[in-house]
Amino acid sequence: MLLREVQYARPGSVEEALQALAAHEGARALAGGQTLLNVMKARAASPDVLVDLRDLEELRGVARTQDGGLRIGAMATYAQLMREPAVGEARPILAEVVAQIADVQVRNRGTIGGNVCSSDPTNHLPPLAVAQRWTMHAAGPAGERDVAADEFFLGVYFTAIGPGELLTAITIPPGGSDGFASVTLGVDGTCIANAAAQVRDGQARIALGCVGAVPVVVSSPDEVRAAAPDAPADVHASADYRRHLAEVCARRALEQAS
Amino acid sequence: MTQTTMEPLVVEREQTKPGFVGQSIPRKEDRRLTQGQGVFFDDLKRQGMGFIHFVRSPYAHAKIRSIDVSKALALEGVYGTLTGDEVAIQTDPFFELSTPPGSEIKDYALAVGKVRFQGEPVAAVAAATRELARDAAELVEVDYEPLETVVEPDAALAEGAPILHDDAGSNVVWSGVFDWGDWEAAKAEADHVLTIDYLHFDRFSSTPLEMSGCLVEYERATGQWTLYCNLQMPGVGAIWMAPAMRVGIDKLRFVTHDIGGGFGNKICLHPYFVACCLLARKLNRPVQWTEWRTDQHMANSHGNERVFREVEVAVKADGTLLGFSCKAIDDCGAFPRYEPLGAIIWSQVTPGLYRWRNIRVDFTQVCTNKSPVGPNRGYSRLQHLWLTERIIDLVAHELGFDPVEIRKRNYVKSDEMPYETPNGCVYDSGDYARCLDQALELVGYDKIEERRRDAEARGKLLGVGIGSTLDSGTNNFGQSTLINPELQFSGNNEVATVKLDIFGEIVVTLGTVPQGQGHETTASQVVADILGVTPEDVHVRPGHDSFWNSHAGFSGTYASQFAVTGLGAVKGATENLAWEIKRVAAGVFGAAPEDIELEGGQARLAANPEAAIPFMGIGAIVNANNAILPLDVRDVTLNCRYVYVPPFQLPDKERKFGNLTLTYATQIHVCVLEVDRETGAYELVDWAVVDDCGTRIHPQIVEGQVHGAWAHGVGAATSETFAYDEDGNLLTANFYDYHVPHALDLPPVKSGWIESPSPFTPFGSKGMGEGGGGAIHAVCAAIQDALRPAGKPVVYDSHNPYHRVWELMTRPEESRKLISVESR
Amino acid sequence: MITVRFELNGEAVEREVDPRRLLVHFIRDDLDLTGTHVGCDTGNCGACTVLVDGEAVKSCMLLAVQADGTRVETVEGLAANGESSPLQQAFSAAHALQCGYCTPGMLMSATYLLRNNPEPTEREIRKGIQGNICRCTGYVNIVEAIQEAARK
Repeated sequence: MLLREVQYARPGSVEEALQALAAHEGARALAGGQTLLNVMKARAASPDVLVDLRDLEELRGVARTQDGGLRIGAMATYAQLMREPAVGEARPILAEVVAQIADVQVRNRGTIGGNVCSSDPTNHLPPLAVAQRWTMHAAGPAGERDVAADEFFLGVYFTAIGPGELLTAITIPPGGSDGFASVTLGVDGTCIANAAAQVRDGQARIALGCVGAVPVVVSSPDEVRAAAPDAPADVHASADYRRHLAEVCARRALEQAS
Repeated sequence: MTQTTMEPLVVEREQTKPGFVGQSIPRKEDRRLTQGQGVFFDDLKRQGMGFIHFVRSPYAHAKIRSIDVSKALALEGVYGTLTGDEVAIQTDPFFELSTPPGSEIKDYALAVGKVRFQGEPVAAVAAATRELARDAAELVEVDYEPLETVVEPDAALAEGAPILHDDAGSNVVWSGVFDWGDWEAAKAEADHVLTIDYLHFDRFSSTPLEMSGCLVEYERATGQWTLYCNLQMPGVGAIWMAPAMRVGIDKLRFVTHDIGGGFGNKICLHPYFVACCLLARKLNRPVQWTEWRTDQHMANSHGNERVFREVEVAVKADGTLLGFSCKAIDDCGAFPRYEPLGAIIWSQVTPGLYRWRNIRVDFTQVCTNKSPVGPNRGYSRLQHLWLTERIIDLVAHELGFDPVEIRKRNYVKSDEMPYETPNGCVYDSGDYARCLDQALELVGYDKIEERRRDAEARGKLLGVGIGSTLDSGTNNFGQSTLINPELQFSGNNEVATVKLDIFGEIVVTLGTVPQGQGHETTASQVVADILGVTPEDVHVRPGHDSFWNSHAGFSGTYASQFAVTGLGAVKGATENLAWEIKRVAAGVFGAAPEDIELEGGQARLAANPEAAIPFMGIGAIVNANNAILPLDVRDVTLNCRYVYVPPFQLPDKERKFGNLTLTYATQIHVCVLEVDRETGAYELVDWAVVDDCGTRIHPQIVEGQVHGAWAHGVGAATSETFAYDEDGNLLTANFYDYHVPHALDLPPVKSGWIESPSPFTPFGSKGMGEGGGGAIHAVCAAIQDALRPAGKPVVYDSHNPYHRVWELMTRPEESRKLISVESR
Repeated sequence: MITVRFELNGEAVEREVDPRRLLVHFIRDDLDLTGTHVGCDTGNCGACTVLVDGEAVKSCMLLAVQADGTRVETVEGLAANGESSPLQQAFSAAHALQCGYCTPGMLMSATYLLRNNPEPTEREIRKGIQGNICRCTGYVNIVEAIQEAARK
């Protein structure tokens, strides 16, 4: 609670938002705020300016792409993704996974863009993004660019979205079959370990959350232990136990996808 | 009946006609609380009020070299600051309950010279808004010199350990040996001696949803402080605060209204409150402090952590338990505060529910660089009851007894009640075996093996566990003299005032400090039955105000006693009022008081109900028209204060023997869970709990308390822990890492009840709010049972998160090293 | 300071507010509606739940300025003319509250649930109040109260 002083801007378009982000070095985009405001409450981060994206309707759309994939605006909320018919048709796993995030209130505000941009290793969506090879669309002072999910997550709370840039949308390519598994603190709680899997043309691609700063990719559950040497230890799991859970999650996610 | 040496007086109960007592009437509190009109202390505002933010230590153990508040004071909107140096000048240390070495500990409102736990307040800032106060607190510069920390209780006792309190010269607060019966003889007589090297009762707290705090007004003219607050035991709070502040106790007025849960965690607020009082006086303005969640986790009272070592259990071949012996090391954190009362309070339930007569406990309490502890729902008894339940399940597990049969063999029997325990406590009533049977039936225990096979087919290990436990209520504070013979505390008391006002209003004032227990409702039931009115006719003032003069030294809401002490006081006061009303009516009619009956809000002649005076008339006569009364009735005030004092005697200090509590409510839990073989994660799939708290005044409220105590136990057993790293950093300072069970985590619970009225209490009721930690015992036993096929590991901790279950499953030999059996 | 205008329980509100002020503090401290509570500082407990444009949100996870132009409902708005709603009545009848501190947030989450799903299953109810911590009841009677209100 009790944030440090901050200024507030409410742009009416993406261009205005980019201008506002460019105008202040310490500006941060405010999407659903379900992570950022928490971090600010702890005074662990203190942006000078919050650029509220609430009015950018163009960032909220969800639609099928011509090739059968999905294009999702960065400001689409979890609750929206749970009820969008397009998601249910093209990628039901996404609706299933976001339904496990936090709680009703958070799902009503939290956004897909906010989730991936916060790059919290315990989040549900980064491994899904990497397993399914999402493409992240960013707009910035230098124009628009696309970043592959593999290159998007750079570290804890650190992504390829640079200063002055904005994640505008995400494209999920048409998929094969998907899986997701997690071990959580309480039912549908914070992930202690998780894994997302996609099987396409007989090829498995598994991305593990919680075991590194960014999602770790393997093609078989047997590779998990070797692939996660730096799994963190905390009050919920030792490094070794976390690796073990990651392996179990990988196997379960793969099973669901197969 | 067992021969007793210190049996309380049996209360003769008159047969009363059926009334509101015993019915689940709608709660009086609910309307305001469901409409958002409850009055919690943080809802209050005063003109010019300052908001307080505490500057807290990031270190668990450090010297304070200096504190510089100048930058904070320079910030616009900051009203002022307070530091430990000022506190040390303006106040004396709070009194300590312990004998040496604990008695030498100096505890102030703010850290003086040194910090001893992470989150300890070192300074306070008051400012015009909450945000500014925090901004200013960040500007206070504290120069710390970090010191070596001691986090584990064993380490605190080690040679050369860093000493927290130089004045005490030791990390030991208190130690003593409790020895009842003849342990050595029991051991010699035993066919099996089971030894358990280590058991650990984990640190957690009930974390009430409303944080602690107060709004303090200081009146210069009179030197009077008024604290609008959520302190749940103001009587004792004042005893701590007034001498430390060098003022008379009447200078501190405590007011509470609605309180958002207490669970004991709101008893030890006095250090914070003293700091707030000093700031209110220094700044000559009202100040307000609301704790934050992170603060509550880091620095409000935690539950006691306890290690049991060298546990030895004497068992006969047929499963009869003869006794046990152990060392208990209790970790009270950085300051004792309410401690070392926990070093004696466990002995209210020395044998648990069992008949063993030979018990020896070598008890030591130590300080560590962790948050101070305080009473927490089931205070000090649940730690000990967990030990007794662990013992019985491990005896069953290792020697091949059935956990149900061994309990029934050793339970105190209903026909042995009242039963005197080896240390002189008297179990008033109960039928443990019947409760257990009912709980087993509720979970379908006869079909459990089928369910076990079904679970196995799904890759799950099913386990069933029993938690049989006691909730001892209505303390005899004389037990404090068993830890410190110099203390001048004994017995107990509670107060109520019931008056008939000028327009006939019935107004009840309680000395208690409710936090959700529905006292307004249950008090109104008692009053209505005695006065012949309905509960709607009875106004019970919400909350507590020490200026109402309806309190006594032990007033408060704690330790499972309202149904005995609070309602005992209400009953006494109402009966006195009824008698006064009858005297007034008799005076008017020229009859005798015995000729008058109270019915339908009237006092009337029993022989001629047409001759009646409504209560409004009685109130008006006494208050405003008393010249019409005969002279011998003019002493009537219609304002009756009654102090309920339970029938206690002083305990025997030499033998540490005596009746320490008046009532013993029973809770028997049966937990069914399934462990995922691949991960150690487990799910609670079924649960039953059967409660026996004697006569139930309001069955719905009783059941609500059972549910609540159950949920706290489940949380403590599964996902709630105050874990520290080796530097004394709290790892679970928020609700992300300290996971409180939510609605999806808890299974539907099946609850049952029986009523074994207490022979010692005004209504046959017993205090029952704490539940005795039954859910913790049951989860541990169920995990133990589930993991039997995985190498029979030993569940040695009260807290079993998934990772611990995984360790037990995959390395059973590690925990099996803790246990051995010598059979003769 | 920024001017915010929104509708609060049907009435128009216009105030100056420091942009850093959370909606919950604005509602409690500036607008004096103290039924909305604070139970944590990390957005976990749900005691501060309100409805913004009909959606349940945690008012500690929203700046007051973000409520500009919206319709906000708090617990004080549930009882029309002081008459408790069926849900409020069900909470009392089922003894779904003890200390009452979580109750306002719990009622707002349950109101949101029942508006969008008038006949929820027990699982849906539990999922619907997952974001609201109660430390008194073990949720047993809360679930029952919501079921009871749904039946009416």
